[in-house]
Amino acid sequence: MCGINGIYAYHRAASAPNARELLATREHMVARGPDGCGEWWSRGRRCGLAHRRLSILDLSDRALQPMVAGEAGHVVVFNGEIYNYPELRATLEADGVRFETSSDTEVLLQLYARHGRAMLEHLRGMYAFAIWDERRRGLFLARDPYGIKPLYTADDGWSFRFASQVKALVAGQAVSSEPEPAAIVGFYLFGHVPEPFTLYRQIRALPAGHWQWVDEAGPGEPQPFARLSEVLAHGALSPQSPEALPTALRMAARASVGAHLLADVEVGLFLSSGIDSGALLGLMRDAGQDRIRAVTLEFGEFAGSAEDEAPLAREVARHYGAQHIVRRVGAEEFREDLPRIFAAMDQPSIDGINTWFVAKAAREAGLKVALSGLGGDELLAGYPSFSDLPHWRRRFGAVAQIPFLGCALRVLGSRVFPARARSQPKALAMLEYASSLPGAYLLRRGLFMPHELPALVGEEMTRAGLRRLRPLQRLAGQLDPDPLTMTGRICVLESSNYMRNQLLRDADWAGMAHSLEIRVPLVDWQLVRALAPHMAHLTAQSGKQALARAPMNGLPEAARLRPKSGFGVPSAAWMMAGDGVSAAMNKGLVSRQWSRHVLRQAL
Amino acid sequence: MTRMLAMVTDGFGGRGGIARYNCDFLSALAGAGWQITVVPRYAPDPETPPCGVTQTPSHAGRPGYAVRVCFEALRARPQVVFCGHLFMAPLGLLVARLARARFVIQTHGIEAWQSPGALVRAACADAHLILSVSRYTRAQVLSWAELPPERVRVLPDTFGASFAPATASNGDNLGLDGKKVLLTVGRLDRHEAYKGHDRVIAALPDLVAGGHDVYYVVAGEGDDRLRLEALARHHAVMERVRFVGAVPKDRLVELYRRADLFVMPSTGEGFGIAFVEAMACGTPALGLGVGGAKDALGDGELGTLVAPNENLAARIAAQLNAPGLRGAPLSAAVKSRFGPGQFTQHARLLLERLVEDDVNGAVTEIERHDGR
Repeated sequence: MCGINGIYAYHRAASAPNARELLATREHMVARGPDGCGEWWSRGRRCGLAHRRLSILDLSDRALQPMVAGEAGHVVVFNGEIYNYPELRATLEADGVRFETSSDTEVLLQLYARHGRAMLEHLRGMYAFAIWDERRRGLFLARDPYGIKPLYTADDGWSFRFASQVKALVAGQAVSSEPEPAAIVGFYLFGHVPEPFTLYRQIRALPAGHWQWVDEAGPGEPQPFARLSEVLAHGALSPQSPEALPTALRMAARASVGAHLLADVEVGLFLSSGIDSGALLGLMRDAGQDRIRAVTLEFGEFAGSAEDEAPLAREVARHYGAQHIVRRVGAEEFREDLPRIFAAMDQPSIDGINTWFVAKAAREAGLKVALSGLGGDELLAGYPSFSDLPHWRRRFGAVAQIPFLGCALRVLGSRVFPARARSQPKALAMLEYASSLPGAYLLRRGLFMPHELPALVGEEMTRAGLRRLRPLQRLAGQLDPDPLTMTGRICVLESSNYMRNQLLRDADWAGMAHSLEIRVPLVDWQLVRALAPHMAHLTAQSGKQALARAPMNGLPEAARLRPKSGFGVPSAAWMMAGDGVSAAMNKGLVSRQWSRHVLRQAL
Repeated sequence: MTRMLAMVTDGFGGRGGIARYNCDFLSALAGAGWQITVVPRYAPDPETPPCGVTQTPSHAGRPGYAVRVCFEALRARPQVVFCGHLFMAPLGLLVARLARARFVIQTHGIEAWQSPGALVRAACADAHLILSVSRYTRAQVLSWAELPPERVRVLPDTFGASFAPATASNGDNLGLDGKKVLLTVGRLDRHEAYKGHDRVIAALPDLVAGGHDVYYVVAGEGDDRLRLEALARHHAVMERVRFVGAVPKDRLVELYRRADLFVMPSTGEGFGIAFVEAMACGTPALGLGVGGAKDALGDGELGTLVAPNENLAARIAAQLNAPGLRGAPLSAAVKSRFGPGQFTQHARLLLERLVEDDVNGAVTEIERHDGR
């Protein structure tokens, strides 16, 4: 993990970029890269690039960034890892390219010099980078297909800025902090700020799987180079038999874990009691890693309950001979850390506390890199949404198609059963949203429903926010082209929203705050390509059980058969102690209350 | 050769800043070989368009204008429809659809600072390019328009070659030999009243009390003059304020050159072309850091930016005491950002990109460079 940023004064009328601003933005990201830093200016100083380094591959100073290499004189700042860079390097060397470092960064430059934007088709990994093209006097930016690595841009009409964090751009003090209504409305709808919006109108995320070109004419519109729906649609055209799933998953998951272990420092693991992280541990062993340290969180509040991860994680660690670190976290530490948590939270999120503490524990153990099982539920139909959404559509879809009926019944219901409307706000909205898959998804993942927004943010903000966000149209757009299978469609919705905008973003800011790189082998483009032909018959049971058996030495039975639970923190009690939260309130209602607190902090 | 249909309020032979901008913009494209048909609402003065531009007779009435542009769209088969004013955007979109052309909208200033009606918003959402004269106007457009921010680009106003520092002694001293002269150029509109004449008049007593033998010259005509005269009398500075009315261009250049400081503490500039003209004539300029004035004053690198709550008299006095960049160096600095050459190149770049993107579909800049 690193921090990158840059300023390009592309317009002839623009003032030259300010070096102080460039460095202020970079230094806001010091935790992302405590091992080194650098800056670079183009001829004429119209473009400046800066970098904060967390050294993981090629620990020498030769690999410092911004890096200039090759005859073309292109310059790169790069955040992430290219897992297939040894193969890419070998191919380039066979073509006569000479390398000066053993880092993956130099491979990016040489690939760009050779292939231009088509270089993206060759990359396997998580990445966000910017290359200054000296010959064309322009910037080429790209972000990995899943959006594991963040990249934010701001264009004021004269100058283009980018950085790994929203707050870093704001710290430069040249970007407007006018709030974005779509972000505020989106946060209350989903519990995160939906990409490409950010809390500030002028700052946008470069969407996952997109590239962008900026030259003297200004930034062009971001162009897609990888779409999950397309991969799944393509896979669905050549469906495989259910019997082929375990082998396909075993091969692809092994290859992914093997690739994700590429590092010149030790790679650890976040270990819960679930199948995803347990299987990763087994696959790390299969890949030949001898020393494995696995980190698990333990909470006194969960002791003896099904939510206590530590006992089963201990058994899995023992099963694979890993060194197990159990880190106990309590309410007092949570309250102590909370100001730092909010300071590190780059965009408001109702989650991420768990990742904060497990990253903290990993860093305390001296780890710089850790694998996480994040993404297993999206890929292998592990969430309840995979069964709920089709069920709701079957049960309520036909009635919900009748125009205005759902809305009328919801209004009527809230008048007749006001208490129920308060305690179960989504139940009354079922007939309003179950007519379409995006609607059902909003119902499933929604924190608040659209009709509740005026009471939270006012009529005007609601109108402006919904008009700009267009939540249902945005979700429907993610399903183009149609992934052809129901599991594929829900996989796209979960991966493009909850996982990308919440889980991966949380992993970034919470890991970054502790200078820890979190790698996610189950969020891998090659892996999803391999599984795409199996989506039609993938179920929570078949997928997760195949993953549990993917290591040569499969997961112990207790871990395989444990009912699914979240990667939980007793946050309800901690977060809202003395804030009107009672034990009787369900998780959803607590999250709603917590979200208001989070947004107040963010604004 | 690219064909454009330009729907403008003020075309060649029109008056005011919008007419000037339209003519500069269309001339820049015509110079690159574009064939342009201009349909103006108003063009009261005789002016011959440059080669490549054909202007129809003006049509002030809306129905007649709409019929004429539809007719011209079918006749000229343009690849680009340029809509020179936001309020004509719905008609512009209709015409662009009719001609299957790329659709460009120009925004100038305060007309785009508030969210317009649903029809105009919808037309803007379908625009391929919206041009704004300043970053501020662009930001305001993006606050209500639902289109990708990359489609809204800044093309600032420019100035003519005659706006340059004096090469010989000034011809017009206004009878103010040896005096310090402050100058504001702008319409005196009672409804707008944002140019900041009031603020300058109110600052004069402090300047005089501070030992500055200063006179304030107000160029421009309008129905706010009586109120401003009363204000000058109220502050007992009437003898130090000269209302010179509307001035022709050659005299305007003389006024700019004669002034010691161009001052316009306006709160409503879409861009503020008068700042740029003054500085192009070598005269330092001072304005509020509000709206488009920040662009014209180069973020404070060309002229002086004053915060709305700052003591204006103190900042004017400081500027009179130590004017900093002025004369030929200031003029050259302004020209390098906003000169006619820069305007022409940028206008062509933006519009040619737009047309090339249309020709090549999804092919974008880098692919074109790569030869793919």
